[in-house]
Amino acid sequence: MHTGSPLLLASIESIRPVFLIVMGVSLLMLAWRLSQNASGWTARFILAGAILLAIGYSFIMPLYEAGKIEHYSPDAHFHGDPGVALAWHVVKVVAMNTGWFLFGWGVALHAGLFERVSARPVLLPSSSPR
Amino acid sequence: MNTAELIAQSSVVFDAAGVAGLCLLAFAAIRLARREHSWGGNLMAIGAISLLIARLVIVVSNHFVTHEMLAAWGPNAISAQLALPAILLSFGLAGVVWGLWGHSKWLHDGR
Repeated sequence: MHTGSPLLLASIESIRPVFLIVMGVSLLMLAWRLSQNASGWTARFILAGAILLAIGYSFIMPLYEAGKIEHYSPDAHFHGDPGVALAWHVVKVVAMNTGWFLFGWGVALHAGLFERVSARPVLLPSSSPR
Repeated sequence: MNTAELIAQSSVVFDAAGVAGLCLLAFAAIRLARREHSWGGNLMAIGAISLLIARLVIVVSNHFVTHEMLAAWGPNAISAQLALPAILLSFGLAGVVWGLWGHSKWLHDGR
């Protein structure tokens, strides 16, 4: 990362980790605020997803962007320990994807996506044989 | 094979869960915008769809676009292939966060 000149600090590769940290923390705070209005599993899903996404965007992704963690690929040659790169890759994949799944599910519950718009009459089999 | 290698090899399952979560987020945001008239829902939907398109671009370029194809398309295609996912991921994340802020503000202001 180039940090020698103030102008280079404004470059995308320097700004991107800061942007990711700010977005991750903001997402967590806003999700916490939203979960205050929700109840039960809706709040739990939103908060659990936001915590995982905050870990992913505010901690893991900036480390990748700063070059502190090597990108994992089965065929790649590593400067450091391949086991460490694999472990970080697994943490990233699990945290980010599970985070989006839980957060999306929570917001869907909050929006009432799984509730039926109009309650149709339920057709039940007749209990009295003809 | 240890657990980490097993998870790394079955990352497609987690990727599918992430895509499903983004689809749910997009549908929920559209519902909030259309049914409840929350302006944050529109931004959240645009953000979630941008993130989905970025994932699609990454998957398509990893699996279907070869070096020969990029060389044939020219330098602009190579630049676009590198820049497009990063731009979409950044704007998508910003859209989701801004939309979430708008929706929570709309909730706190008493709709």
